[in-house]
Amino acid sequence: MFKRNAFRVIVMMCVLVYAGIAMGQGNVQKCFNDAACKVKATTDPSQKREILNNKLQDMSKALDIVRSSRLVSKADRAGIDRVKVAIQEKQDELAGANGYARVPDEQLNAFSDYVVQDMEQADRTIVISGVTALLIVIIIILIVR
Amino acid sequence: MPTLGLACAALALFLFSCSSIPPARRASPPGDEGWAPPRYSIVCIIHGDSGYLYHDTRGNVHSADEEALARVKTVAERNTQAEVFIFHERHRRHRLLFFPLRDGTFYYYLHGRLLTEESYWRDQGQLRFDPEMELYDRFRAEGSPEPVRFFLYFGHEIPEFDGAGYDASYKNRTFTVDDLADGLKRITSDSTKIDLVVLSTCFSGTPRTIAALAPCARYVVASPDNLHLSYFDLRPFERLDIGLREVDVSGFANTFAHHAFDRLTEDVQTAVTVVVYDEHRVQGFLRSIDSTYDHALTEVRGKAPASVERCDCAEDSAYAKPGMNEGMTVLYRPPNFGRLQYKESHSGWECWRLLK
Repeated sequence: MFKRNAFRVIVMMCVLVYAGIAMGQGNVQKCFNDAACKVKATTDPSQKREILNNKLQDMSKALDIVRSSRLVSKADRAGIDRVKVAIQEKQDELAGANGYARVPDEQLNAFSDYVVQDMEQADRTIVISGVTALLIVIIIILIVR
Repeated sequence: MPTLGLACAALALFLFSCSSIPPARRASPPGDEGWAPPRYSIVCIIHGDSGYLYHDTRGNVHSADEEALARVKTVAERNTQAEVFIFHERHRRHRLLFFPLRDGTFYYYLHGRLLTEESYWRDQGQLRFDPEMELYDRFRAEGSPEPVRFFLYFGHEIPEFDGAGYDASYKNRTFTVDDLADGLKRITSDSTKIDLVVLSTCFSGTPRTIAALAPCARYVVASPDNLHLSYFDLRPFERLDIGLREVDVSGFANTFAHHAFDRLTEDVQTAVTVVVYDEHRVQGFLRSIDSTYDHALTEVRGKAPASVERCDCAEDSAYAKPGMNEGMTVLYRPPNFGRLQYKESHSGWECWRLLK
Protein backbone atom coordinates (compact mmCIF):
# COMPACT_ATOMS: atom_id res chain seq x y z
CA MET A 1 0.00 0.00 0.00
CA PHE A 2 2.78 2.40 0.98
CA LYS A 3 4.82 1.51 -2.12
CA ARG A 4 1.79 2.01 -4.36
CA ASN A 5 1.09 5.44 -2.88
CA ALA A 6 4.75 6.45 -3.10
CA PHE A 7 4.78 5.42 -6.77
CA ARG A 8 1.67 7.48 -7.45
CA VAL A 9 3.22 10.53 -5.75
CA ILE A 10 6.40 10.21 -7.80
CA VAL A 11 4.44 9.90 -11.04
CA MET A 12 2.33 12.95 -10.18
CA MET A 13 5.42 14.98 -9.30
CA CYS A 14 7.05 14.10 -12.64
CA VAL A 15 3.91 15.13 -14.49
CA LEU A 16 3.65 18.40 -12.55
CA VAL A 17 7.31 19.29 -13.10
CA TYR A 18 7.05 18.51 -16.82
CA ALA A 19 3.83 20.51 -17.15
CA GLY A 20 5.27 23.26 -15.00
CA ILE A 21 8.32 23.64 -17.17
CA ALA A 22 6.20 23.93 -20.30
CA MET A 23 3.90 26.33 -18.49
CA GLY A 24 6.84 28.42 -17.32
CA GLN A 25 8.02 29.16 -20.81
CA GLY A 26 4.57 30.14 -22.08
CA ASN A 27 3.67 32.18 -19.01
CA VAL A 28 6.64 34.55 -19.23
CA GLN A 29 5.18 35.65 -22.56
CA LYS A 30 1.68 35.77 -21.11
CA CYS A 31 2.79 38.28 -18.47
CA PHE A 32 3.76 40.82 -21.10
CA ASN A 33 0.73 40.05 -23.22
CA ASP A 34 -1.60 40.70 -20.28
CA ALA A 35 0.10 44.04 -19.71
CA ALA A 36 -0.31 44.96 -23.40
CA CYS A 37 -4.03 44.15 -23.19
CA LYS A 38 -4.42 46.38 -20.12
CA VAL A 39 -2.53 49.19 -21.86
CA LYS A 40 -4.90 49.08 -24.82
CA ALA A 41 -7.94 48.90 -22.53
CA THR A 42 -7.23 52.33 -21.02
CA THR A 43 -7.21 55.68 -22.80
CA ASP A 44 -5.11 57.52 -20.18
CA PRO A 45 -1.47 57.75 -21.36
CA SER A 46 -0.12 58.04 -17.82
CA GLN A 47 -1.93 54.84 -16.85
CA LYS A 48 -0.57 53.13 -19.95
CA ARG A 49 2.96 54.09 -18.95
CA GLU A 50 2.43 52.98 -15.38
CA ILE A 51 1.13 49.57 -16.46
CA LEU A 52 4.07 49.00 -18.77
CA ASN A 53 6.68 50.30 -16.36
CA ASN A 54 5.29 48.23 -13.48
CA LYS A 55 5.34 45.05 -15.56
CA LEU A 56 8.89 45.68 -16.72
CA GLN A 57 9.98 46.38 -13.15
CA ASP A 58 8.27 43.24 -11.85
CA MET A 59 10.03 41.15 -14.45
CA SER A 60 13.36 42.77 -13.67
CA LYS A 61 12.90 42.11 -9.93
CA ALA A 62 11.94 38.50 -10.60
CA LEU A 63 15.05 38.06 -12.70
CA ASP A 64 17.25 39.46 -9.94
CA ILE A 65 15.75 37.04 -7.41
CA VAL A 66 16.07 34.02 -9.69
CA ARG A 67 19.58 34.98 -10.74
CA SER A 68 20.75 34.84 -7.14
CA SER A 69 19.39 31.33 -6.68
CA ARG A 70 21.85 28.42 -6.45
CA LEU A 71 19.56 26.39 -8.70
CA VAL A 72 20.43 28.58 -11.67
CA SER A 73 23.37 27.56 -13.85
CA LYS A 74 26.10 29.89 -15.07
CA ALA A 75 24.74 29.68 -18.61
CA ASP A 76 21.26 30.63 -17.41
CA ARG A 77 22.66 33.57 -15.44
CA ALA A 78 24.20 34.89 -18.64
CA GLY A 79 20.86 34.46 -20.40
CA ILE A 80 19.08 36.27 -17.57
CA ASP A 81 21.57 39.14 -17.83
CA ARG A 82 20.75 39.58 -21.49
CA VAL A 83 17.03 39.60 -20.80
CA LYS A 84 17.60 42.19 -18.07
CA VAL A 85 19.45 44.41 -20.53
CA ALA A 86 16.53 44.12 -22.97
CA ILE A 87 14.06 45.04 -20.23
CA GLN A 88 16.14 47.99 -19.05
CA GLU A 89 16.31 49.36 -22.58
CA LYS A 90 12.52 49.26 -22.78
CA GLN A 91 12.18 51.05 -19.45
CA ASP A 92 14.63 53.66 -20.68
CA GLU A 93 12.75 54.18 -23.91
CA LEU A 94 9.43 54.45 -22.05
CA ALA A 95 10.85 57.16 -19.80
CA GLY A 96 13.09 58.85 -22.35
CA ALA A 97 16.30 58.06 -20.48
CA ASN A 98 19.82 56.99 -21.51
CA GLY A 99 19.77 58.58 -24.93
CA TYR A 100 16.28 57.39 -25.87
CA ALA A 101 13.54 59.70 -27.07
CA ARG A 102 10.52 59.21 -24.82
CA VAL A 103 7.80 57.07 -26.40
CA PRO A 104 5.06 59.53 -27.44
CA ASP A 105 1.65 59.06 -25.86
CA GLU A 106 0.04 58.12 -29.15
CA GLN A 107 2.54 55.29 -29.66
CA LEU A 108 2.15 53.58 -26.29
CA ASN A 109 -0.20 50.90 -27.67
CA ALA A 110 2.26 50.10 -30.44
CA PHE A 111 5.09 50.12 -27.91
CA SER A 112 3.22 47.57 -25.78
CA ASP A 113 3.01 45.32 -28.88
CA TYR A 114 6.72 45.86 -29.41
CA VAL A 115 7.46 44.72 -25.85
CA VAL A 116 5.41 41.54 -26.36
CA GLN A 117 6.95 40.73 -29.72
CA ASP A 118 10.50 41.55 -28.73
CA MET A 119 10.29 39.46 -25.56
CA GLU A 120 8.77 36.59 -27.55
CA GLN A 121 11.73 36.78 -29.89
CA ALA A 122 14.15 36.97 -26.99
CA ASP A 123 12.51 33.84 -25.63
CA ARG A 124 13.72 32.07 -28.76
CA THR A 125 17.18 33.57 -29.11
CA ILE A 126 18.24 33.75 -25.47
CA VAL A 127 18.57 30.26 -24.06
CA ILE A 128 17.21 29.78 -20.56
CA SER A 129 16.41 26.33 -19.23
CA GLY A 130 12.82 25.35 -18.51
CA VAL A 131 13.49 25.10 -14.77
CA THR A 132 14.80 28.68 -14.64
CA ALA A 133 11.85 29.93 -16.70
CA LEU A 134 9.51 28.23 -14.23
CA LEU A 135 11.30 29.87 -11.30
CA ILE A 136 10.87 33.27 -12.98
CA VAL A 137 7.14 32.70 -13.35
CA ILE A 138 6.77 31.59 -9.75
CA ILE A 139 8.58 34.69 -8.49
CA ILE A 140 6.48 36.95 -10.73
CA ILE A 141 3.30 35.42 -9.34
CA LEU A 142 4.57 36.01 -5.81
CA ILE A 143 5.60 39.64 -6.27
CA VAL A 144 3.07 40.91 -8.85
CA ARG A 145 1.27 44.02 -7.78
CA MET B 1 -9.37 -10.59 -11.51
CA PRO B 2 -9.72 -6.76 -11.80
CA THR B 3 -5.91 -6.60 -11.94
CA LEU B 4 -5.86 -9.10 -14.81
CA GLY B 5 -8.52 -7.07 -16.62
CA LEU B 6 -6.49 -3.89 -16.25
CA ALA B 7 -3.37 -5.62 -17.49
CA CYS B 8 -5.22 -6.87 -20.60
CA ALA B 9 -6.59 -3.42 -21.27
CA ALA B 10 -3.13 -1.89 -20.92
CA LEU B 11 -1.64 -4.49 -23.27
CA ALA B 12 -4.39 -3.84 -25.81
CA LEU B 13 -3.75 -0.09 -25.68
CA PHE B 14 -0.02 -0.65 -26.06
CA LEU B 15 -0.48 -2.86 -29.11
CA PHE B 16 -2.96 -0.39 -30.60
CA SER B 17 -0.60 2.57 -30.28
CA CYS B 18 2.39 0.70 -31.66
CA SER B 19 0.71 -1.32 -34.36
CA SER B 20 2.14 -0.97 -37.82
CA ILE B 21 -0.74 0.03 -40.00
CA PRO B 22 -0.16 -1.09 -43.58
CA PRO B 23 1.31 1.88 -45.41
CA ALA B 24 -1.22 3.81 -47.45
CA ARG B 25 -0.59 4.29 -51.11
CA ARG B 26 -1.66 7.11 -53.36
CA ALA B 27 -5.02 6.29 -54.90
CA SER B 28 -6.13 7.86 -58.14
CA PRO B 29 -9.11 10.10 -57.49
CA PRO B 30 -12.16 7.83 -57.86
CA GLY B 31 -13.65 7.80 -61.33
CA ASP B 32 -10.75 9.85 -62.61
CA GLU B 33 -8.42 7.34 -64.27
CA GLY B 34 -7.39 9.83 -66.94
CA TRP B 35 -6.14 12.48 -64.49
CA ALA B 36 -3.45 14.84 -65.78
CA PRO B 37 -0.07 15.01 -64.03
CA PRO B 38 0.08 18.02 -61.70
CA ARG B 39 1.66 21.21 -63.02
CA TYR B 40 2.88 22.20 -59.56
CA SER B 41 4.37 20.20 -56.71
CA ILE B 42 4.56 21.65 -53.20
CA VAL B 43 6.33 19.96 -50.32
CA CYS B 44 5.75 21.57 -46.96
CA ILE B 45 7.33 20.71 -43.60
CA ILE B 46 5.85 22.35 -40.52
CA HIS B 47 7.87 21.94 -37.35
CA GLY B 48 5.77 21.93 -34.22
CA ASP B 49 7.98 20.11 -31.72
CA SER B 50 9.07 23.15 -29.72
CA GLY B 51 7.66 26.36 -28.25
CA TYR B 52 5.54 27.94 -30.95
CA LEU B 53 3.05 30.01 -28.98
CA TYR B 54 2.74 33.69 -29.76
CA HIS B 55 0.24 36.47 -29.13
CA ASP B 56 -1.36 38.64 -31.76
CA THR B 57 -2.06 42.35 -31.32
CA ARG B 58 -5.52 41.58 -29.92
CA GLY B 59 -3.92 39.51 -27.16
CA ASN B 60 -5.06 36.15 -28.54
CA VAL B 61 -2.65 33.26 -28.22
CA HIS B 62 -1.82 31.24 -31.30
CA SER B 63 0.14 28.11 -32.06
CA ALA B 64 2.32 28.99 -35.04
CA ASP B 65 2.49 25.46 -36.41
CA GLU B 66 -1.29 24.96 -36.28
CA GLU B 67 -1.83 28.30 -38.00
CA ALA B 68 0.67 27.38 -40.71
CA LEU B 69 -0.99 23.99 -41.17
CA ALA B 70 -4.40 25.61 -41.71
CA ARG B 71 -2.95 28.00 -44.30
CA VAL B 72 -1.08 25.31 -46.18
CA LYS B 73 -4.23 23.19 -46.31
CA THR B 74 -6.01 26.16 -47.90
CA VAL B 75 -3.22 26.37 -50.50
CA ALA B 76 -3.61 22.65 -51.16
CA GLU B 77 -7.40 22.87 -51.54
CA ARG B 78 -7.33 25.86 -53.87
CA ASN B 79 -4.70 24.58 -56.27
CA THR B 80 -6.50 22.16 -58.56
CA GLN B 81 -3.44 21.62 -60.72
CA ALA B 82 -1.04 20.75 -57.90
CA GLU B 83 0.05 17.91 -55.70
CA VAL B 84 0.79 19.01 -52.14
CA PHE B 85 2.67 17.09 -49.47
CA ILE B 86 2.27 18.39 -45.93
CA PHE B 87 4.33 17.02 -43.05
CA HIS B 88 3.40 18.28 -39.60
CA GLU B 89 6.11 17.36 -37.09
CA ARG B 90 4.42 17.32 -33.70
CA HIS B 91 5.52 17.05 -30.11
CA ARG B 92 5.60 13.44 -28.99
CA ARG B 93 2.69 12.54 -26.74
CA HIS B 94 1.91 9.42 -24.78
CA ARG B 95 -1.26 7.57 -24.07
CA LEU B 96 -1.62 6.93 -20.33
CA LEU B 97 1.87 8.43 -19.81
CA PHE B 98 3.69 5.37 -21.12
CA PHE B 99 2.51 4.43 -24.61
CA PRO B 100 3.99 6.68 -27.32
CA LEU B 101 1.75 7.99 -30.08
CA ARG B 102 2.82 8.65 -33.65
CA ASP B 103 4.20 12.17 -33.72
CA GLY B 104 4.04 13.16 -37.37
CA THR B 105 0.99 13.73 -39.55
CA PHE B 106 1.16 13.52 -43.32
CA TYR B 107 -1.41 14.97 -45.71
CA TYR B 108 -1.38 14.36 -49.45
CA TYR B 109 -3.50 16.50 -51.74
CA LEU B 110 -3.89 16.02 -55.46
CA HIS B 111 -5.83 18.42 -57.68
CA GLY B 112 -7.25 20.12 -54.62
CA ARG B 113 -8.53 16.99 -52.91
CA LEU B 114 -7.21 15.33 -49.77
CA LEU B 115 -6.39 11.77 -50.76
CA THR B 116 -4.44 10.65 -47.71
CA GLU B 117 -4.05 11.63 -44.08
CA GLU B 118 -1.65 9.37 -42.25
CA SER B 119 0.24 9.41 -38.94
CA TYR B 120 3.87 8.36 -38.92
CA TRP B 121 6.83 7.99 -36.59
CA ARG B 122 9.35 10.80 -36.91
CA ASP B 123 12.30 8.95 -35.45
CA GLN B 124 12.61 6.20 -38.05
CA GLY B 125 15.64 6.03 -40.33
CA GLN B 126 19.16 7.34 -40.05
CA LEU B 127 18.68 10.74 -41.68
CA ARG B 128 16.48 13.53 -40.36
CA PHE B 129 13.92 13.46 -43.14
CA ASP B 130 13.93 9.73 -43.90
CA PRO B 131 10.30 9.23 -42.77
CA GLU B 132 9.07 12.24 -44.76
CA MET B 133 11.01 11.34 -47.89
CA GLU B 134 9.79 7.76 -47.75
CA LEU B 135 6.20 9.04 -47.80
CA TYR B 136 7.08 11.52 -50.56
CA ASP B 137 8.54 8.77 -52.75
CA ARG B 138 5.48 6.60 -52.21
CA PHE B 139 2.97 9.25 -53.17
CA ARG B 140 4.52 11.56 -55.69
CA ALA B 141 2.94 11.66 -59.10
CA GLU B 142 5.03 10.51 -61.99
CA GLY B 143 4.71 11.73 -65.50
CA SER B 144 5.90 14.47 -67.76
CA PRO B 145 6.25 17.35 -67.94
CA GLU B 146 8.17 18.04 -64.74
CA PRO B 147 6.06 20.13 -62.40
CA VAL B 148 7.17 23.48 -61.04
CA ARG B 149 8.53 22.57 -57.59
CA PHE B 150 8.19 24.42 -54.33
CA PHE B 151 9.45 23.64 -50.85
CA LEU B 152 8.14 25.45 -47.78
CA TYR B 153 9.56 25.12 -44.28
CA PHE B 154 8.01 26.61 -41.15
CA GLY B 155 9.80 26.50 -37.83
CA HIS B 156 12.45 27.98 -35.59
CA GLU B 157 15.87 29.04 -36.83
CA ILE B 158 17.64 26.09 -38.45
CA PRO B 159 21.06 25.85 -36.80
CA GLU B 160 24.21 26.15 -38.87
CA PHE B 161 26.09 23.87 -36.48
CA ASP B 162 25.50 21.55 -33.52
CA GLY B 163 21.70 21.49 -33.81
CA ALA B 164 21.00 19.44 -30.68
CA GLY B 165 17.69 20.10 -28.96
CA TYR B 166 15.86 21.44 -32.03
CA ASP B 167 13.15 18.89 -31.28
CA ALA B 168 11.76 19.07 -27.75
CA SER B 169 10.82 15.38 -27.95
CA TYR B 170 14.22 14.21 -29.13
CA LYS B 171 16.91 15.98 -27.13
CA ASN B 172 19.73 13.95 -28.61
CA ARG B 173 18.75 14.39 -32.23
CA THR B 174 20.38 17.14 -34.23
CA PHE B 175 19.08 19.26 -37.06
CA THR B 176 21.17 21.65 -39.13
CA VAL B 177 21.04 23.33 -42.52
CA ASP B 178 23.03 20.38 -43.90
CA ASP B 179 20.20 18.03 -42.92
CA LEU B 180 17.75 20.34 -44.65
CA ALA B 181 19.86 20.38 -47.82
CA ASP B 182 20.13 16.58 -47.75
CA GLY B 183 16.36 16.32 -47.54
CA LEU B 184 15.86 18.72 -50.44
CA LYS B 185 18.27 16.75 -52.63
CA ARG B 186 15.98 13.76 -52.29
CA ILE B 187 13.08 15.76 -53.69
CA THR B 188 14.95 16.70 -56.83
CA SER B 189 16.51 14.45 -59.39
CA ASP B 190 20.12 14.91 -60.49
CA SER B 191 19.24 17.32 -63.23
CA THR B 192 16.56 19.46 -61.66
CA LYS B 193 16.34 21.89 -58.79
CA ILE B 194 13.50 23.04 -56.61
CA ASP B 195 12.26 26.17 -58.29
CA LEU B 196 11.49 28.07 -55.09
CA VAL B 197 12.38 27.33 -51.47
CA VAL B 198 10.64 29.40 -48.80
CA LEU B 199 12.19 29.31 -45.32
CA SER B 200 9.75 30.76 -42.78
CA THR B 201 12.27 30.80 -39.95
CA CYS B 202 14.41 33.33 -38.16
CA PHE B 203 17.95 33.94 -39.36
CA SER B 204 17.65 31.85 -42.53
CA GLY B 205 19.37 34.41 -44.74
CA THR B 206 22.92 33.55 -43.77
CA PRO B 207 25.83 32.84 -46.14
CA ARG B 208 26.02 29.28 -44.84
CA THR B 209 22.33 28.50 -45.30
CA ILE B 210 22.01 30.02 -48.76
CA ALA B 211 25.20 28.28 -49.90
CA ALA B 212 23.99 24.92 -48.54
CA LEU B 213 20.80 25.17 -50.62
CA ALA B 214 22.53 26.20 -53.85
CA PRO B 215 22.85 22.66 -55.29
CA CYS B 216 19.10 22.05 -54.99
CA ALA B 217 17.31 25.40 -55.25
CA ARG B 218 16.97 28.08 -57.89
CA TYR B 219 15.44 30.79 -55.70
CA VAL B 220 15.14 31.12 -51.94
CA VAL B 221 12.93 33.46 -49.93
CA ALA B 222 14.18 33.84 -46.38
CA SER B 223 14.44 36.21 -43.44
CA PRO B 224 18.01 37.07 -42.45
CA ASP B 225 16.80 38.64 -39.20
CA ASN B 226 14.17 37.60 -36.65
CA LEU B 227 10.86 36.54 -38.15
CA HIS B 228 7.62 36.89 -36.23
CA LEU B 229 5.88 33.57 -35.59
CA SER B 230 2.98 34.58 -37.80
CA TYR B 231 5.44 33.59 -40.57
CA PHE B 232 5.19 34.57 -44.25
CA ASP B 233 1.65 34.92 -45.53
CA LEU B 234 0.85 32.28 -48.15
CA ARG B 235 -1.92 33.97 -50.08
CA PRO B 236 0.08 34.24 -53.36
CA PHE B 237 0.38 30.44 -53.30
CA GLU B 238 -3.39 29.93 -53.26
CA ARG B 239 -3.86 30.09 -57.02
CA LEU B 240 -0.59 29.23 -58.71
CA ASP B 241 -2.32 28.91 -62.09
CA ILE B 242 -3.06 32.65 -61.82
CA GLY B 243 -0.08 33.91 -59.82
CA LEU B 244 2.62 31.97 -61.65
CA ARG B 245 2.08 32.94 -65.22
CA GLU B 246 4.51 31.88 -67.93
CA VAL B 247 6.37 29.93 -65.20
CA ASP B 248 8.17 33.11 -64.15
CA VAL B 249 9.41 31.81 -60.82
CA SER B 250 11.60 34.85 -60.20
CA GLY B 251 8.62 37.17 -60.66
CA PHE B 252 6.47 35.00 -58.43
CA ALA B 253 9.15 34.88 -55.73
CA ASN B 254 9.31 38.67 -55.69
CA THR B 255 5.53 39.00 -55.61
CA PHE B 256 5.38 36.55 -52.71
CA ALA B 257 8.17 38.35 -50.82
CA HIS B 258 6.51 41.76 -51.24
CA HIS B 259 3.16 40.39 -50.09
CA ALA B 260 4.72 38.69 -47.05
CA PHE B 261 6.61 41.89 -46.19
CA ASP B 262 3.50 44.07 -46.48
CA ARG B 263 1.47 41.74 -44.24
CA LEU B 264 4.18 41.50 -41.59
CA THR B 265 4.73 45.26 -41.41
CA GLU B 266 1.03 45.83 -40.71
CA ASP B 267 1.18 44.41 -37.18
CA VAL B 268 4.77 43.58 -36.32
CA GLN B 269 6.66 46.28 -34.42
CA THR B 270 10.02 44.48 -34.43
CA ALA B 271 12.28 44.44 -37.50
CA VAL B 272 10.95 42.87 -40.69
CA THR B 273 13.35 41.58 -43.33
CA VAL B 274 12.35 39.47 -46.33
CA VAL B 275 14.89 38.62 -49.03
CA VAL B 276 14.71 36.84 -52.38
CA TYR B 277 17.99 35.13 -53.28
CA ASP B 278 18.78 34.12 -56.86
CA GLU B 279 21.08 31.21 -56.03
CA HIS B 280 22.98 31.41 -59.30
CA ARG B 281 23.71 35.13 -59.02
CA VAL B 282 24.74 35.17 -55.34
CA GLN B 283 27.38 32.46 -55.74
CA GLY B 284 30.13 34.89 -56.66
CA PHE B 285 29.75 36.82 -53.40
CA LEU B 286 29.34 33.63 -51.36
CA ARG B 287 32.58 32.20 -52.74
CA SER B 288 34.43 35.44 -51.95
CA ILE B 289 33.43 35.38 -48.24
CA ASP B 290 33.36 31.62 -47.75
CA SER B 291 36.53 31.36 -45.67
CA THR B 292 35.71 34.49 -43.66
CA TYR B 293 32.30 33.14 -42.67
CA ASP B 294 33.70 29.66 -41.96
CA HIS B 295 36.22 31.23 -39.61
CA ALA B 296 33.44 33.14 -37.85
CA LEU B 297 31.43 29.93 -37.41
CA THR B 298 34.45 28.17 -35.95
CA GLU B 299 34.90 31.01 -33.45
CA VAL B 300 31.25 31.02 -32.47
CA ARG B 301 30.92 27.26 -32.21
CA GLY B 302 32.78 26.92 -28.94
CA LYS B 303 31.16 29.88 -27.22
CA ALA B 304 28.21 29.98 -24.84
CA PRO B 305 24.99 31.17 -26.54
CA ALA B 306 24.83 34.23 -24.29
CA SER B 307 28.21 35.48 -25.53
CA VAL B 308 27.36 35.66 -29.24
CA GLU B 309 24.73 37.43 -31.25
CA ARG B 310 23.51 37.87 -34.77
CA CYS B 311 24.17 40.98 -36.82
CA ASP B 312 23.88 42.38 -40.31
CA CYS B 313 26.98 41.27 -42.29
CA ALA B 314 27.28 44.84 -43.55
CA GLU B 315 28.36 45.85 -40.03
CA ASP B 316 31.55 43.82 -40.48
CA SER B 317 33.96 45.24 -43.07
CA ALA B 318 35.30 41.73 -43.78
CA TYR B 319 32.13 41.07 -45.76
CA ALA B 320 32.17 44.31 -47.74
CA LYS B 321 33.07 42.60 -51.01
CA PRO B 322 31.94 43.45 -54.53
CA GLY B 323 28.63 41.92 -55.42
CA MET B 324 27.32 41.82 -51.85
CA ASN B 325 23.89 42.95 -53.02
CA GLU B 326 23.89 41.21 -56.38
CA GLY B 327 21.17 38.71 -57.18
CA MET B 328 18.93 39.71 -54.27
CA THR B 329 15.79 41.66 -53.55
CA VAL B 330 15.98 42.98 -49.99
CA LEU B 331 12.85 44.25 -48.26
CA TYR B 332 13.66 45.80 -44.89
CA ARG B 333 11.86 47.83 -42.28
CA PRO B 334 13.69 48.54 -39.01
CA PRO B 335 11.98 47.99 -35.66
CA ASN B 336 9.62 50.83 -34.72
CA PHE B 337 11.30 51.10 -31.30
CA GLY B 338 14.63 50.24 -29.74
CA ARG B 339 18.19 51.16 -30.64
CA LEU B 340 17.91 49.83 -34.19
CA GLN B 341 14.90 51.96 -35.16
CA TYR B 342 17.20 54.30 -37.07
CA LYS B 343 18.91 51.54 -39.08
CA GLU B 344 18.16 52.49 -42.66
CA SER B 345 18.91 49.32 -44.55
CA HIS B 346 19.95 45.69 -44.34
CA SER B 347 22.47 43.95 -46.56
CA GLY B 348 20.31 40.82 -46.81
CA TRP B 349 23.00 38.72 -45.17
CA GLU B 350 23.10 37.80 -41.49
CA CYS B 351 26.35 37.10 -39.68
CA TRP B 352 27.63 36.40 -36.18
CA ARG B 353 29.60 38.48 -33.74
CA LEU B 354 31.01 37.98 -30.28
CA LEU B 355 29.54 40.10 -27.50
CA LYS B 356 32.05 42.18 -25.62
